[in-house]
Parts: sequence; structure tokens; C-alpha cells
Amino acid sequence: MTRATAGSVRKDALKPLWRASVLLRVITLLFAAAVVVQHGGEYASAALAWVTIAAMAVWTLATSLVYLRMDRVRLWFTIVDLGLCCLLMSASRLVLTDQQRTVTAVPLVTTIWVTAVVAVGAVRSGMVGGTAFGAVVSLFNYGVRGYVDTDLTRDLVLLVGIGFVVGLASTTSKQSAERLAMAMRAEAATAERERLARTIHDSVLQVLARVRKRGRELGGEAAELAELAGRQEVALRALVAAAPLETDNGRADLRPRLQVLMTDRHQVSVPGTPVMVAESAAAELAFLVREALENVDRHAGATARAWVLLEDLGAEIVLSVRDDGVGIPAGRLAAAESEGRLGIARSIRGRVAELGGSVHLETGPRVGTEWEIRIPNAGRAR
Amino acid sequence: MTTSGPVSVMVVDDHPMWRDGVARDLAERGFDVRATAADATSAVRIARTVRPDVVLMDLNLGAESGVDATREITSGLTGTRVLVLSASGEHSDVLEAVKAGASGYLVKSASAEELVDAVGRTAAGDAVFTAGLAGLVLGEYRRMAAGPEDTTAPRLTERETEVLRLVAKGLTARQIADRLVLSHRTVENHVQSTLRKLQLHNRVELARYAIEHGLDSGPDANLDG
Repeated sequence: MTRATAGSVRKDALKPLWRASVLLRVITLLFAAAVVVQHGGEYASAALAWVTIAAMAVWTLATSLVYLRMDRVRLWFTIVDLGLCCLLMSASRLVLTDQQRTVTAVPLVTTIWVTAVVAVGAVRSGMVGGTAFGAVVSLFNYGVRGYVDTDLTRDLVLLVGIGFVVGLASTTSKQSAERLAMAMRAEAATAERERLARTIHDSVLQVLARVRKRGRELGGEAAELAELAGRQEVALRALVAAAPLETDNGRADLRPRLQVLMTDRHQVSVPGTPVMVAESAAAELAFLVREALENVDRHAGATARAWVLLEDLGAEIVLSVRDDGVGIPAGRLAAAESEGRLGIARSIRGRVAELGGSVHLETGPRVGTEWEIRIPNAGRAR
Repeated sequence: MTTSGPVSVMVVDDHPMWRDGVARDLAERGFDVRATAADATSAVRIARTVRPDVVLMDLNLGAESGVDATREITSGLTGTRVLVLSASGEHSDVLEAVKAGASGYLVKSASAEELVDAVGRTAAGDAVFTAGLAGLVLGEYRRMAAGPEDTTAPRLTERETEVLRLVAKGLTARQIADRLVLSHRTVENHVQSTLRKLQLHNRVELARYAIEHGLDSGPDANLDG
């Protein structure tokens, strides 16, 4: 999914909020007109009052078109909107008599029409935008009236409050739309992976398995080809079987990271349910097992096979790596270490110690080598 | 199980090339290949008619799963054992098939000798384990032990755990017998017992589920849900 469509998902999520802000502006415009009808005769300039209402009507229409039609509402436009609303509020200084403005507290011509622009700021820019727009409108309200009292301060609290609440709703729906889009992407990826796995199982794997089997029976050069086919088959099967690498709160399933190490000479056995460990530990343990298996390939003999077993005991993870190779002659590990070379044993011991675990090594001529690594774990994921 | 004559086999796989290849391999080595099937539904129907000693079951049968067919065959036909032969990787579907009653599991990449040996052992009543399946079964017992207190959940004895761990580490039954100073037969019995307990528990769980949900309409009911 591209960035453009992700953006449109967000816009779609906000559409109901934009529609509500437009509806609010239309209703409050009608309310403002009704107030002018009621107070018309007492104004200093009734004509200017009607000019203001007309301007408000034109602006309501213009903003409605922009907010309902545009795919993306620009910040500068909402600021222009805010500025014009404040300008229209200021016009009331000329409409209202001083008596009306300060003593009898007749409403400004714009009245509650200005709450709509606070909603616009909130929908466009979330809690910060809503709160800021509410504060600006309230400050203009003080400025136009020219005094501060309980009623005006109540208006401020209400305007800022509306900005905050609508902004919160906008931010929340944006986030949940993003989360939904992410979940949809993940689901599509999983479905695609399953489709691929099925295709591979139905075609490539079947043929490779057959080639390997038949080639082995024919012997000679065919057996060599069978060996190659077999190696690809096992590698492909491991890839298909490996669950996607997912992390959850910094914890990851260790199984897929070990399963990709499976080849025709390296068997990996894991439980059927996820083995959750800290993500860093998962990477470290996978690296360690890979190192141990490479060591088997290098030193245990050409025909040596290896088995990896992962066990989840709840409070600890047990990883065993066993091979049926020639084994490590007594003293060779110690010799390598005393020569200052970082032997496999020292490397494994160091890594395991860093994870707070312990290593047990069993080896000898003709019995192969077996590592048993125990790592404390915070507990199994339920 | 038949008491005389060659072991009779049925091959279930949706891939014709594989199905015919395996059938030919087994026939060449003296097995009586009674039938083949390409999907789960006909597999169950044909198995009821020909009653083979061993059913070689692929788990990935197109849109269907071999797990349900395995359950129906093993619960309905007492003389028939199911050996799972799957390329789907050693995963939870293999565990499900084993819990549903399969006596063992072999990867498709196994050699013809391994296959012949496994079919023979399955017919003889032994469990056929790969290291991968042992790891899954071990994990399943640990999962049950860590779960909420359930007195009906089976537990492994210390000896069974020891044997299963060695199977998972790639040792053969012979090697395990040597290492633990047991007879070969005893090792086989331990491995079999780990499977039997799991299968019995699975049947009890299914029956309990059926009663709780009013689905106790006999063994043919599809209880997956």
C-alpha cells in the first residue's frame, strides 16, 4: 500500500468530523441571523450587521466547499479561516452601541458561529490545533468587548474545551484508521505468504522431493543432482514453514529464527506454540546456534549431522545442539583458548553469560558433541 | 493388523506424481497397495471399504486437511493405522494429526528405505517419530503442564521425558537404549506411550466439547471448531 492511499484512509476517517463542522457552521449562521433580527432596531448600524451576516453566509459556503470537497485540507487555509472569523467578530465593534457591547452584553453579530472555526482547527490539527484556535477566538472575544468578566471567561473555557475534545476525537480516529490500515496490510501480507506457501508446496516442493528420491535410487551423477535438489527442498521447506518474524512489545518468537537454519543435515525441533523471549535474546540465540552449526560443518566431519532442540520450560529456555561427528578431543578447547584464539566454546560461553544463562558441553571421540544452553526467561506468553 | 500376508497400504495425496511414485516404490518392495486417494472425503470412504493396515496420509490435500480424515479413519477402523507423510514442514498440523490418532510422521524427503521401514514399523504397532515430531510432542506436554490446573491433562513420566528429548536430539531407538541402558523394546514402548496418552486426552477433550455444545451425534460428527 502506498503513502497516498494511507493518507486517503486518514482523510476518510475524518470525513464525518468535517461534515459535522460544516453542519455546525450552517446552524450557527442561522442562529446569528435570528439574533440580528431580534436586536436589529437597537444596533448602532443595522446595515453593517446585515453586511456581516452576508459575509458570514458567503464564507460558510466557501469553507463548506473546501472542507467537504478537498482531499487534503491545508493548515494555511484553516488559519485564513480563523483570521476571517476574528475579523468578522471585530466588525461587531461598529455594529453594537457601547451600551450594548459593555453593559447589556448583547451578543456579537457572529455569536456562537465562531465555535465552528474552533472545530475546524481541532479536526485539522488535533488537540493542539483545537486548543489553540479556541484560545485565539476567546482572546479576540475579550478584545472586542474590551473588558474581562466571568461570562467572557466562561466562554473561553467552553471554546478551549470544545477545541480540546473535538481535537481528541480527531486524533483518536486518525490513529485508529492508521492502525486499521496497518492491520489490513499485515493481513494482506499473511494471505500472500500463505498463497505462496501453498503454491510452493503444490509444485516446487513435490518435484524437488521426487527428484531427490529418485535420483538417490539411480545413483551416480543422478545421485549428485538429487543431493542438490534435496538441499534446495529442505531450505525451501524451512522458509515456507517459518512463521513471519513478529515482535510484540520487544519480545519475539524464537522458533522462526531457528527454523530458517534447517537444512538436510541440520534438523531443528521446536514446540508447536510460540516461544517468546526478549528480541535481543532471540537474535543472540539464533546467531549462537548458527555459529554452532557452522562449527559442526567445519570440524565434525563431512557426513556429520546436527540436531537443534528448543524447549520452553516457562522460567527458562533450553537449547540443545547435538552432532554425531568426530567430537572434540579432550584438551583441544582449552588449548585453543590458552593460545588466545577465540574458540567457538569461548564465544558461546561469553554470549550465554551475557544473557545470564549457563552452558553444558558434552563431547568425546566418536560420540559427537552436545551443547546444552539454558537461558532464564521472564515466562511464557499466553 | 493382518496376521499373515503382505502389509496392505493405501496412499492419500493430492499430487498425482507423488502418489503414484510412492505407490510404485511400496509395490516394488512387496507391499500390497490396495488403493490411492486424492482427497480427504474419498480417502475416508475408500479406507472403510478396503480396510488397509496402513494409510499413508498427506496433510495438505488442496482445500482439505488430512487431520480430519486421520481422525475419522483411526476412530472408525480399529485395524488401520495412519502414518503421516507430509512435506508441509514439521508444524502444528503434524501435531494435530498425531493427536487425532496418527501413529507417526515421516517427511516426504525421506529415502525409500526409510519409508519402507516406517510403514513396516507402523503396521507392527510402533510409533514412528522424527526428531521434529518429538520436539512438538514435548512442547505439547509442557504447554498442558503450564496451563490452568487440569487434572485430566496427561503428564510425562521422567523416563518418558528423557526418551522423548533424546529422540528430539536425533538419537535412534537403538542409541537411546544403549545410552539409558534399556532394552530396545522398552524405548519403543515409552515413545508409544507418549503418543497414546496424547491421543486419549484428545478424544476425551473432543467428547467433553461435544457434550458441552450439544454435539454428541456420534463419531462421524465434525468436531473441529
